[in-house]
Amino acid sequence: MEGASEPLLDAKSGVTNQLIDFQWKLGMAVSSDSCRSLKYPYVAVMLKMADPSGQVKNKSFEMTIPQFQNFYRQFKEIAAVIETV
Amino acid sequence: MLAGENCLPAKMLLDLSEEHREHLAFLPQVDSAVVAEFGRIAVEFLRRGSNPKIYEGAARKLNVSSDTVQHGVEGLTYLLTESSKLMISELDFQDSVFVLGFSEELNKLLLQLYLDNRREIRTILSELAPDLPSYHSLEWRLDVQLASRSLRQQIKPAVTIKLHLNQNGDHNTKVLQTDPATLLHLVQQLEQALEEMKTNHCRRVVRNIK
Repeated sequence: MEGASEPLLDAKSGVTNQLIDFQWKLGMAVSSDSCRSLKYPYVAVMLKMADPSGQVKNKSFEMTIPQFQNFYRQFKEIAAVIETV
Repeated sequence: MLAGENCLPAKMLLDLSEEHREHLAFLPQVDSAVVAEFGRIAVEFLRRGSNPKIYEGAARKLNVSSDTVQHGVEGLTYLLTESSKLMISELDFQDSVFVLGFSEELNKLLLQLYLDNRREIRTILSELAPDLPSYHSLEWRLDVQLASRSLRQQIKPAVTIKLHLNQNGDHNTKVLQTDPATLLHLVQQLEQALEEMKTNHCRRVVRNIK
């Protein structure tokens, strides 16, 4: 993620986790131990976060396409609200 | 000592502390039937954990404090677990108990309790050893990566594995991802480990432990 260096006056950096990096990939599952023939697209997200003490943690999750579309819609709404602030 | 040489085990006597002897001193004050029942309770507590209500019920029937009953049962439990843990011989058990000055009938009863229960107690004790996570099951998925933040238009095969592990009764999972070539290498390494068990060296070591 491009360095968006927050000013140290940010009150939250001592309380919540900070997002350091947001990686994603689009994949297609073609076979699994429970189902041999699949055509299942998904979005995988890997977040890199630092907790208030500075320790870096990775968290990853997957979304189906409908789940991702819902996910995307949330961010569109957030962006829209920010415009009005 | 050469492997396979027959040797007599050294005398192994239990070291019973003052406090332990005091707790056990309750046993000659009750019927053998009661001691046998305490023995049954002790093994049941080893299997499933202790239940203090049992002490209160017994205390009322015997007209003593529930602490006395608890100490008696715990003393008996400790006697059985220590003997089983060390797998002491009949003779050593008898000699260890002899110092308590009990009647011959009580000594015979205690010996019988030990001999009847020691296999099961050893099985229970073996489960107390610290546990590394162990394999429970595995789920896998074959994926094709089509795009990522840094590169579009890809066709990159990957294998995603969800490893189910057990540790001390807890269940947890680990998700791993690798490419088919690395997976093949992993399989070859594991097969090599299994092959090692068939070598003369391994066979000799295992034979000598038995």
